[in-house]
Amino acid sequence: MSDELDRIRREMHAVLQPPGVRPDDSLQITRRTFIHRSLLFGAASVGQTFAWWPLLNTIDVAHAAEAPFKFAWISDTHLYERSLNTRFVDKVVRAVQEVQAMDPPADFLIFGGDLAQLGKIEELELGVELLKDLKIKKYYIPGEHDWYLDMGKKWGELFGQPNWTFDHKGVRFIGLDTVSRGPDYWTAKKMTPEERMGHMATLDGTVAGAWAGVGRDQLDWMSKTLAEWGTDKPVVIFSHNPLYEYYPPWNFWVRDWREVNDVLKPYTKVTNIHGHVHQVLYNEIGRMRSIGMLATSWPWPYAPEGVPKLTKPMIRVDPGDPFDGVGWGKWSVSANDEVETEYIMWGRKEVFVQSPEDHDKSIPEVLRPRIADNQYPWANP
Amino acid sequence: MINTSTFLCILRRSTVAGAVIAAAVVVGPASANKDPVTPKQLKLYQEAFMEEVRKGDLLFHGDAAMAEQLGVKLSTTGWACAMCHPMASDTHPHAFPKFQQSMAKFATLRDMINWCIEKPNQGEKIDPESEAMKALEAYITWSNTGSVLVPGKY
Repeated sequence: MSDELDRIRREMHAVLQPPGVRPDDSLQITRRTFIHRSLLFGAASVGQTFAWWPLLNTIDVAHAAEAPFKFAWISDTHLYERSLNTRFVDKVVRAVQEVQAMDPPADFLIFGGDLAQLGKIEELELGVELLKDLKIKKYYIPGEHDWYLDMGKKWGELFGQPNWTFDHKGVRFIGLDTVSRGPDYWTAKKMTPEERMGHMATLDGTVAGAWAGVGRDQLDWMSKTLAEWGTDKPVVIFSHNPLYEYYPPWNFWVRDWREVNDVLKPYTKVTNIHGHVHQVLYNEIGRMRSIGMLATSWPWPYAPEGVPKLTKPMIRVDPGDPFDGVGWGKWSVSANDEVETEYIMWGRKEVFVQSPEDHDKSIPEVLRPRIADNQYPWANP
Repeated sequence: MINTSTFLCILRRSTVAGAVIAAAVVVGPASANKDPVTPKQLKLYQEAFMEEVRKGDLLFHGDAAMAEQLGVKLSTTGWACAMCHPMASDTHPHAFPKFQQSMAKFATLRDMINWCIEKPNQGEKIDPESEAMKALEAYITWSNTGSVLVPGKY
């Protein structure tokens, strides 16, 4: 771990994890998984593609005297236009069919961002068309891939306000926009919208910089939203990026995680569910627990450093097997307020690493950031 | 015992070899191996390497202009190498050659690069000796600088 990252990690620990402070002990991540034969919708079409990690997640939440319920999560579909390829389309179709088939049904769906790959109108509209088959209520938060071609114009027309809140059966849900407040890296360099999007759409790009953040205005809004909410009542916050620092070079963080935590500190039952990382991830920051969801499109490897110690890593994918690592997941909360998280992957009996060799970091690697995107013409405005 | 004809043959070979070496010392880049290396030379060597790294970086990240320049079609799906391998992570150039499970054969990094081009990317396999392949290899290995050789590791 680099000195700088180590320093920040120590600071995060010192500030947020004083002795005795932990999230409410109501969440378990199980290792129990199964091959989900009954839900192999569209198996033939998926079999023809390189289906990597299609995943949707269902979450059962129960709280106090309120009725238990489920909701589903799909994110990171990264749709290209149909004419370019349909491999990601097939996985969205499959995810939608399975959410629709949930029994008992989910009360609503959260779409966690990165519906499109390059922010094109056609891609976003394709996403809407595919998700139309899902008849339950849908809530959307944006990802960076949806935003930086037209600065959220089309996304806003389709889905409205990017941050929102609602209460459901005793839980306050908040959707955050962690993508739209990136620093202006395009004006001085006179980039076209496509060039701006291209830099944003490259996870390991070095030009877009630390774009992930909540922003003072949205922090104030969140603070106001929570002001009347009991500090011991459950809050679930959806964001595209994780609300802590994992790996800044890939924006596996929000840059203002300290301020986020200041707002959330009084609340004892906060769960953050996020996309962007395309991988199984679990962390606890102060009293907040944070859960990373898989993409339907493809998996990212774990970052070379900074993986939270509390994360039980997911198993290494065999890219040659279209069914390997493919699946979905769910969370359930029993009537006695226990939340159970379960990741389910098609064709896998085990989701989590079983031996050191099963981990994608079993071969130690030292990595350098890329260089070519920061050279002329981008280096010299 | 060396007879006359053998002796003459050795002499002739020595003469030829000597001439080649002399010529190389005078005109060729091989003189670098006989003289202390200069900063100017080092700079040139490094630039030659980094130019390939740069090209490989662009290819790896799906740059259409560079692919066209080098005459390759690495993907037809919109997919680029870096989408699964940001910063060339999980490429493990330092673990090759090895038995590669996904190909079910003993493979080099170049074999693996071509496998990824053909399978996930659905592009066109490239000549293992082509500049594009060398550039990709340069970028991947450069990005993994400092990684310790573990050939054969799963």
